[in-house]
Amino acid sequence: MSSYGTAAASPVLAGTGLMKSFGLTRALAGVDVSVWAGESLAVMGPSGSGKSTLLHCLAGIERPDEGQVLLAGERVDHLSEPHRSELRRTRFGFVFQSGQLLPELPADENVALPLMLGGMPRRRAVHKAREWFPVLGLAGKEERRPGELSGGQAQRVAIARALVGSPQVIFADEPTGALDQITGMEVIDLLVDITRKQGAALVVVTHDEQVARWCDRTVRVRDGHLTEHDRTPHTARGARYDR
Amino acid sequence: MKALDRTTWTLTWRLTRAGGRTGLLATGLAVAAVAISTALLLVCVAGNLGFQQRADRIDWRNPVKSAAPVAVEAVGTTFSGGTPVTVVDVAQLPGEKAPAPPGMTHFPEPGEVWVSPALADLLGRLPADRHPVPGTPAGRLGRAALAHPGELVAVVGHKPTAAAVTAPREDDPRRPGDTITPTRVADFTGKPVADGIGEGYVALMKVATILVVVPLLVLGASSARLSVSRRDERLAALRLIGATPGRIAGMTAAEAALTGAAGALLGAAGYALLLPAAARVSVAGGSWYAADLWVGLPVLLAVLAGIVAMVIGSALIGLRQVVVGPLGVARRSRPARMSAVRALVFVAVILGYAQFTADKKSDINGVLAFFAVVFLALSVIGPWVVGVLGRIISARARQAATLLAGRRLLDDPKGAWRTVSGLALAGFVAGFFALFGFVGSSPWGSPDTLAVAVPKSREAVVQHKARERLEHAGITATVGSDTDWVAIGGGENSVQVTATVPGGTENLERARTALASLVPGQYPVAGTDIDWSGKLFAQDFTTATRVVLGVTFLTAIASAGITAASSVLDRRRTYGLLRLAGTPLRVLDAARRKETLIPVAVLAGGSVLTGIFCAAPLTLAGGSSSLDAGGIALLAVCFGLGIAGLMGASALSRPLLRAVTERAGPSPE
Repeated sequence: MSSYGTAAASPVLAGTGLMKSFGLTRALAGVDVSVWAGESLAVMGPSGSGKSTLLHCLAGIERPDEGQVLLAGERVDHLSEPHRSELRRTRFGFVFQSGQLLPELPADENVALPLMLGGMPRRRAVHKAREWFPVLGLAGKEERRPGELSGGQAQRVAIARALVGSPQVIFADEPTGALDQITGMEVIDLLVDITRKQGAALVVVTHDEQVARWCDRTVRVRDGHLTEHDRTPHTARGARYDR
Repeated sequence: MKALDRTTWTLTWRLTRAGGRTGLLATGLAVAAVAISTALLLVCVAGNLGFQQRADRIDWRNPVKSAAPVAVEAVGTTFSGGTPVTVVDVAQLPGEKAPAPPGMTHFPEPGEVWVSPALADLLGRLPADRHPVPGTPAGRLGRAALAHPGELVAVVGHKPTAAAVTAPREDDPRRPGDTITPTRVADFTGKPVADGIGEGYVALMKVATILVVVPLLVLGASSARLSVSRRDERLAALRLIGATPGRIAGMTAAEAALTGAAGALLGAAGYALLLPAAARVSVAGGSWYAADLWVGLPVLLAVLAGIVAMVIGSALIGLRQVVVGPLGVARRSRPARMSAVRALVFVAVILGYAQFTADKKSDINGVLAFFAVVFLALSVIGPWVVGVLGRIISARARQAATLLAGRRLLDDPKGAWRTVSGLALAGFVAGFFALFGFVGSSPWGSPDTLAVAVPKSREAVVQHKARERLEHAGITATVGSDTDWVAIGGGENSVQVTATVPGGTENLERARTALASLVPGQYPVAGTDIDWSGKLFAQDFTTATRVVLGVTFLTAIASAGITAASSVLDRRRTYGLLRLAGTPLRVLDAARRKETLIPVAVLAGGSVLTGIFCAAPLTLAGGSSSLDAGGIALLAVCFGLGIAGLMGASALSRPLLRAVTERAGPSPE
């Protein structure tokens, strides 16, 4: 696990002039967005606004039609799919709404999977994966199957899996969407906190204002455009959540 | 039943029609699989019934002695170009009115010869000095007298005092039913020939049916599950808006019923279309009367109903696995271990089979029933073996793909077994057939020597007559006598008079015609004639082996392909999200391949051994049971083709894997 991160002079991830269309539907119409190491960014917007497409373009899941994506100053949007796939596996981490854990693997092996995919021997990978369980409040749950975990616990396992490879950026797509409010807030709190401690950047796509308040910054997407930038310092975030 | 009310049918129909191209493809695939299963199943049933009908129709040539006789009947077999020609000699007893034998309009007058259409054709083609039966045919035998259209049969009328119907004939146990001594009969009903070639064919057909039906059922079941896998999200959505589990089960059953019925009807149509082609296939010496291969309406309806019920059952079982709650989320907990009782059941069945075949070897129906039980028992132990393999692989895996494969096997051994069961069962079939080899050449006499058995006292006279006849016919031959017993003799006081005829088959056939009736009731035979039925059976056995293996392997590979596609659809969300998170497609693919190939390698080996074990105590119509080079070659070819087919089937679902993982990606949001 890496040490507490600090903001750097240049963004760890930046998208400039991003445009993306699906047939006649324009999902992104020239978006500029950046995120710094240790920072959390909420991407909000109504359904169909293009927020998930923005995440997919930034994460190398999809290539933008125009514009570019820079990771630590290097352009990554023009890489081939195998290279982008490797990039996603080694330098990014992902947390989805649900269903991302392999039901047949116990929790520790689910977390160890990205390390094993990177060539780490199983024993070492599982050992390293297990180090995350107490950190995420999952001590004793290492050998449980996803079906034996609550929704919140399963999302924590997913967070551990996203973080285990020490990525530079974590992408979370509606990470609390399948959880009740209390559990959802606990999960987002943990996600934001631990990402910052790792010195990674966090990009959260959400339609939930409560979730966005936990992030350092919020951008809003409407009809493929970025309409609003919220540059509230992250130090105030805790106080803004009304429990 | 509310679960199957009008709303259910309407919704099902709407979902089926609105499924888009992929939906139509999956439905089409399911319908096609059911259709193929139905058509082949009907052909198997038709084969069984057809052999029985063939056997029933020739019972009249095995007369039953009567206390109130009206006629005399004797049977002999001669040969033409290696093909048997059955000659039935009949005579009406004085003062009696005998009924017409089957296939004839009246009882033949003395000297009147009736022949089967195929024999009439043969007589038309051959010169008179090679005719296997004397005289000019007065009529054609109808279907009721014949096993199949190509059979060579003659019915010859005699006076009741003629030697043909009075001289006793020696029954040759090496060729049951070929020679029957004159018997006084009340009618021409007859009885089945014990240990005849017909029994061998009936048994072979039963074995073939057992071996083909199970993989066909696996194919039908996998296609039904594919349909459900594709629909699980929509059905889950219906649950979300309040559809009860009963309604969902009803919809699944309704869709399966529609798919199954469509497939079964198409299969029935395919069977009807296949009938003329199937009737042309030569088995047991000839092609078929198409009517013999028609199963009849009640059997047809029963098979169709059974197929539809099986498809519905499989779909409902599949439903239980994919739709768990309104959110469509299958919540998995720790998988229950496969009970070791399964292994014990299998061992008990195997031991029972060994005991049964040792005790009641002659009870062929009992043995075959037990054989079917062993075949089914493979499906009992299969998932247990998969579970054990899963545990071992999971514990020892070092790579991600191997770990994924091992955990998957451990998590759902039954599902993994479904993918490989077809090939495991095909391995059983290959193992079973690998053990059968047939003797290739006759151990009796020489192929250019004809023989008839005579009492020692008549040896010189018969030799003299033979020389006279052969000389008269212009045939050069060496006449002698010995006791090699190509012809069946009458004990110590008998010898066989032989004529060795150089110059090939034509000369031999001419000599055969010249020597006919040299000894009343006997036709001269060559060594190669003795095991004609064995040779024919060996030929047909080889054909049957290839057909059965072809069908089982093709259906197994098709099942594996369909199940692989179904499995990708079942897990599409997880696969998609793993791919988004950077898991290379090749890792997912390697995991899929391993979770299939590892159990196949182990289970196919086990099932081949089980097949060999089951074949060992069986002998079919003289077939020996030992593993020779041919058997090993057969196994090697089957194994190679099976693995290649499985890899191919798995590769075919790779585009689907790519598609579903890409579909988990961005949408215009």
